Amino acid sequence: MDIDGLNDALGLSNDKSQNLGTYIYQPPKHGKSAGERPSKRRKVSSTAGKDEQADRQRFVPLLNGDENAESVQLRYDTYQELWSNQENKIQDILEDVDAGVLTDVLSFVRDTSPQTCDGCIPTALVTVGSNVSSLSRLLSRLNGQLISTEEGSVVVLESGDAPNLKTTLKNIIRATVTNTDGNDGYQKFLTDRAGPRLLGYDLDLLHDYVQRKGTKKLVLALRDSEAFDPGLLTDLLSLFKSWLDRIPFTVLLGISTSVELFEGRLPRSCVALLRGKHFEVQEAGNCVDRIYESLQTDPNTNLWLGRNVTSTLFENTSDYFQSPEAFSRMVKYAYMSHFFANPLGVLLANPDSTILAQTKLCETVRNLPSFRMFCEDLVEEGSIKQVRDMLEDDEYLIQETPKYLDANQQRMRNMFQAVHVVHTCLQYTQSAKKTNVSDLSVRALSGELSESTIVEEMVAMAKTLDSDKLDKLLGRLRGILISPEADVIQEDLRTLLETCSESGPLRSGYNINSTVTKTTVVQQRIRLSKGQADLSEQAVEYTNIVDRLVALLQVHLTETLINPQDLFLHEAFLFDLRNPLKETFAPRPRFAIERALATPFDYLLSSSDVTMTKVSAKQPATAILYQLYLDSGALVNVHDLWQAFYGVFETEEADGCDDRVVMSLFYGALSELKAFGVIKNSRKKTDHLAKSAWMGL
Amino acid sequence: MKRKLSDAGDQSPVSTPKRRRTALEQSNGALNGLAPNAALPNDDASYERPPSEQGQSTPKKVNGVSATPLQQSGLKTPTQKSKARGLFATPTKPKSAVAATPSRVKNADRSARKKSARVLFEQDEDAAWDGSERLAEEILHGDEPDTEKAGQPLAESIEPEGAEEASEKGVKQPKRRAGRPKGARNKRSPTPEGELPAHERYFFQNRAGPVRTSNATLSKVPLLTHEEYFEKLGQYEDPCKEEKEYLQSLHHRSFPQWAFEFDEGFNICLFGYGSKRKLMDEFAEWIYNHGLSATTTPTIVMVNGYTPGISIRSIFATIVTAVMGDDAPSKLGAQPAEVLELLQSALKSHEEPVTVLINSIDAPPLRRAANQALLARLAATPLIRLLVTADTPNFPVMWDISLRDQLNFVFHDCTTFLPFSAEADVVEEVNTLLGRKGRRIGGKDGVGFVLKSLPENARNLYRVLLTELITLLDDGHQSDDEGEAEVGGKDGDETGIEFRLLYQKATEEFVASSEMMFRTLLKEFHDHQMITSRMDASGMEILGVPLSRDEMEGVLEDLVLG
Repeated sequence: MDIDGLNDALGLSNDKSQNLGTYIYQPPKHGKSAGERPSKRRKVSSTAGKDEQADRQRFVPLLNGDENAESVQLRYDTYQELWSNQENKIQDILEDVDAGVLTDVLSFVRDTSPQTCDGCIPTALVTVGSNVSSLSRLLSRLNGQLISTEEGSVVVLESGDAPNLKTTLKNIIRATVTNTDGNDGYQKFLTDRAGPRLLGYDLDLLHDYVQRKGTKKLVLALRDSEAFDPGLLTDLLSLFKSWLDRIPFTVLLGISTSVELFEGRLPRSCVALLRGKHFEVQEAGNCVDRIYESLQTDPNTNLWLGRNVTSTLFENTSDYFQSPEAFSRMVKYAYMSHFFANPLGVLLANPDSTILAQTKLCETVRNLPSFRMFCEDLVEEGSIKQVRDMLEDDEYLIQETPKYLDANQQRMRNMFQAVHVVHTCLQYTQSAKKTNVSDLSVRALSGELSESTIVEEMVAMAKTLDSDKLDKLLGRLRGILISPEADVIQEDLRTLLETCSESGPLRSGYNINSTVTKTTVVQQRIRLSKGQADLSEQAVEYTNIVDRLVALLQVHLTETLINPQDLFLHEAFLFDLRNPLKETFAPRPRFAIERALATPFDYLLSSSDVTMTKVSAKQPATAILYQLYLDSGALVNVHDLWQAFYGVFETEEADGCDDRVVMSLFYGALSELKAFGVIKNSRKKTDHLAKSAWMGL
Repeated sequence: MKRKLSDAGDQSPVSTPKRRRTALEQSNGALNGLAPNAALPNDDASYERPPSEQGQSTPKKVNGVSATPLQQSGLKTPTQKSKARGLFATPTKPKSAVAATPSRVKNADRSARKKSARVLFEQDEDAAWDGSERLAEEILHGDEPDTEKAGQPLAESIEPEGAEEASEKGVKQPKRRAGRPKGARNKRSPTPEGELPAHERYFFQNRAGPVRTSNATLSKVPLLTHEEYFEKLGQYEDPCKEEKEYLQSLHHRSFPQWAFEFDEGFNICLFGYGSKRKLMDEFAEWIYNHGLSATTTPTIVMVNGYTPGISIRSIFATIVTAVMGDDAPSKLGAQPAEVLELLQSALKSHEEPVTVLINSIDAPPLRRAANQALLARLAATPLIRLLVTADTPNFPVMWDISLRDQLNFVFHDCTTFLPFSAEADVVEEVNTLLGRKGRRIGGKDGVGFVLKSLPENARNLYRVLLTELITLLDDGHQSDDEGEAEVGGKDGDETGIEFRLLYQKATEEFVASSEMMFRTLLKEFHDHQMITSRMDASGMEILGVPLSRDEMEGVLEDLVLG
C-alpha cells in the first residue's frame, strides 16, 4: 500500500502539518483535494452565486434554503437591535451593582496612605465569594478612574504570574509600565536610562517610574490571593514594606473564601505588615435576578424567554456558580439561537408585506401548532370564513399576522405586569420568605401562577390588611396596575380615611380581630360559635373597599396571567427550547463519549436497515472493545480481552479474517481507551488491565 | 433482563455453556417474578433441569469466594468465539461439566444445600440483591430428585454441543476461553450484574477478595511492531465509512453557526468521540474562504496540542508572528506571559480577528493547570477567537469557574468516530499499557543481544540488578495485594532498586570496585535503554528495568545459563 493511500485511510494529511506544533494556516492547493470534499465545494459556489450581501453575512437562509436574502438580513438586524438594547440594560445593572463597592474601594485607596496605617501597607480585602468576575470588573473600572485622574494605576496579578519572586517582581514592573505606556514604552523605559542597566526585577525601576509619573497610588491587586504560594506572598509583602517609603503601594486582595481563612495561611509576621479594610461584593444571585427581571418585564421587550429556558438558566447559575456575565451570555445565546434558526424571527422586525409574501413563510405560519389551536378556537366561535381565509389566502394571512403578533406581544407584557403586581402585593402580604420575580415568572410562563397557592394566599392575606398597609400597597400598585377601577378604589379609600383619620387604622371584616368567639353553655356542653363582631360603619365601608380591590385583583390576574403557550404565534416571540442552551453551556462530554462507544449507531445512522444492538464487527473497533470492557470486571486479562475481540470478527467474516489486521484494530482501540483514561496497566498480574471508569457513574 | 432474553432467544441452539446459565437465570428470574416468558419455550427439556450444574454453581453464589472446583472446570471449557460477547460478558457459563466428576458434583450439591440452608437462615440484606437467597431456596427445594443422574445430563448436554461447535467453528480454537477471570467473581451472581445501577456495579466489581482472572498471558501472541501495525491497518476496510462521512457532513453544516458564535464573542469547544483534526482543517479552510471582508485574508493559527514538545510560549509566539508579520520583534521574551502581553498590545492596533484553532487542548503536553490558565487569558483577549477540541471524557475538570469565565466557551458535541491517528502513537501506547516499554529496544531479545556484546562485568551487574528486582517484585506481590489498583500513580512506575543498594550488592559480588567504575557500567546500560532511572520522593535515585517480569526472568535465565 502506498504512503498516500495509507495516509488517506488514517485521515492524515500528506503535508505533515499534523506533526507541527503550531503553524499559520495556509489553505491547501485546491486541485489536489477537490475530490475530497464535494459537499463543501458546492456550498461555496452556491453562496458565491448569490449577491455579495448574502456572502457577507453569517445567517444561513432557512426554510430549506428558500428564505429570501432580505428576510435573512432582517433577522440578523433584528437580533442586533434587540440584543444591543438588552445588553445595555444589563451593563447598566452591573455598573449599578458595582457602584457601591467601587466608591468604597476608591475612597479607601485615596484616603489611606502608609502614614494613616502606622507604617503598614494599606490593604483592601475584597471578598467576592462565587462572584469571581465582579472583581475584574471592579479592578478595570478602578484602574480607569485612577488613570483618568492621574493619581496612579492598578496592576492585576494572578497566581499564574507568580511562580517565583524574581518573575513576580518582573511581571509587576512590566505590567505597571505597560499599563500606562504600552509595550514599546516598557522597552524604551528599560533602555533609555542613565547609569548602569538594571535587571528587570529591580524595584529601583519601579521607583524610577513612580517618580517620573508622579504616581500617588500604585494599587497592586492579587486577583486570586488564595492561589498564591504563602511563602512567596510573605516575601513579596515584606519587600513592599521596605520600599513603602519610596513607592506608594496599596495592596488589594481578592478573596473567595473568607478573610479568616486567608489570614490563617499567612505567618503572623506577614499579617502584621498589613493594615486595611474589608469590602464585600454582592453575591451573584441577586444580580442575576435583577438582570432577568429587567430583561423579561421591561415594557419594550419583544422576545421573551420561556419557562424551560428560564429554569435552565437558573439551574446553571446555581449549579455552576455562574457569574452575572456568564448568565447574560447564556441569555445572549438564547437570542442568537432564536434569530439564527427560527425563520419566524423575522416577524419581530415588523417587516412590510413584501418580505412576508414568501409562500414558504406563510406555510410555516400555517404549520404552527399555535395556528392550529387558534383556528380551532375560531371555528368554535363560528368564524369559519376567517379560518378559511387564513388557510387559503396568503394575502389575508400576511395582513392578519402582524396584528395578532402585536396583540399577543401586548398580552405577554401584560402578563409580566401582572407578575409585577403579584410581586408587589407579596411584599405586603408575605411576612417570612420573599418570593422573587424569577420564581414568579417561571410559574407565570408555565401558566400556573393564577391558580397557584402563592396567589391564593396572597389574596387571602390582602383581605386582612389594615387600611394603612392597604393604602401603601395601592400607592405602589398605582404605576403598575393600570385600570380606572383601581384609581376609584384608591380615591374612595382616601376619602374614607380622611373622615376617620384619628381612630387608627381600619380593619376589614376579614381580619381576625373582628371576629368574635362566643362561648355558651348549652345542656352542660360548651358550644363555641363564631360570629362577626359588630363592625363600625367605617369598618363596613372599608371592608367593602377591600372586597372591591380583591375582586379587581382576581379579575385582573385571571385575565392577564394566561398560558403563553396558548397564544397564537408564540413561536415567534417566545423562545422556549431547552436544548441548544443546556447542551451548549453545560455539556456532558463523558456521557457523549460513553454513548458513542456503547451504542455507536446512535451517531452513525446506518444506511442499511440492520438494527444492531449487539456487538458486531460492523461497529468501530473501539466501540466493540468498549462494550467488551463494560462487561468485564474490575480487572481485565488482556489476553482474554483480545480473544473476545477477535471472536467478534471471526464469527462475522466467514471467509476468514486476517488476525493481524484485527490485532492492529485491537491496538488502536486499546490505545484510545487508554487515552480516555478508562483503563490502565495493572501490576497485580501479568498482562492485566485495571478498569478505572464505570459507565454512568 | 434484556440480555437475558436475547441470550435465551437466539443463542441457546449454538452455545451450550450459555444455556446452562440461561436456565439458571430463568429459574432465577421466575422466582424473582421477572420470568422471561418469551424465552421459556425455547428451552428444551434438558435445560429445564440442569440440576447438577445448578448445584455446582450454587456454592459460588452463596459464599462467593470459594469457587475452586468451578474455576478449574472453567479453565477447561472450549472457547466459544461465536458468542464472544456473551461469553465475555458472563463468565459464569463456561462451566464445563466434563471436568466435574459425578461424585464431586454430588459433594458440591450437598455442600450447596447446606450452605443454602444457612443462607436462608441468616438472611441479610446483601443477599437480597445478590440473588443468592432465591437460589438457595431453589436448591433446597428443587434438586433432590435430580442428584443421582447428575453427571448424565451434563455430559449429554455439553459434549455433543461442544463437538458440534468445534466443527462449526473450524479447527481454530487454540485458546480456552474458560477462566474468564473476572468471571469467577461474577459467578457469584451473574444476574444482578446486568441490571445493577452504575454505582452498585462499581461496588460489586470492587468487592474485596482475591483476583479471579485467568492466568493466560500474551506471551504466545506475537505483538505488533510499528511497521506491521501500519501495514495491517492499511488493509482494513472500514464498514462504517459512509456513516462517518455523513456524520462529518452534518458537522459541516454547523460552520456558519460557529462563525456566528465567533462574531458574537464566544469561543468554541468541540468534544465527543473521535479525532476532530480533520474537521478543524476543514473549518479553517471554510473560514479562509468565507472571510467577512473581501480585502484581507483571515489570520488563522493552527495548534496541535498533542505534539510532544509543544509549549505555550511557542503557541503565543506563532500568533504574534501571524499578527505582526515582519514587524514582530526578534526577541519575544522567554516567559509565555511576556509574549502574551506583547500579543495583547499588538492586537490593540489590529482590526481583523485572529482565529486560533487548537487540536486536543486536553492532550498531556497542554494539560497542566498553568498552561490552561495562560490559554484562558489568551481566550479572554479581544479579537482572539479560540476554537479548541477536547478528546478525553473528563476534560471540563481542567477549568475552574474563573477559567471557565475567561474561556467563555460554547460546547458542541462533534462526535466523528475518526481514529486518533496523528494524536496517538498507538503501538507505543499499547506497549506501555501492557508494561512492555522495552519493546523499542527489542524487548528480551534486544537486551540479550546487547548483553552478549558487553564485557563480563557488565553482564554480571545486569544479573545482579535483575535478581534484586525479581526478589523485590516477589515481595511486592505479597504486600500490595488489594489497594494496588487504587494507588494511581504507582502503576506507571517500574519497580526499582535504590542506586546505593545496587552498588553495595555489586561490590559484594566483585562486579565493580569503585563507584566510578560502577557508573561507567550503568552508563552503558543507559545508552541502550536497558535501565530506567528516576528520583523518588526523598531524592534517591531508583534504578529499574523496562521489561516485564517474564522477560526479566527470561533474560536472567539466559545470563545465568550463558
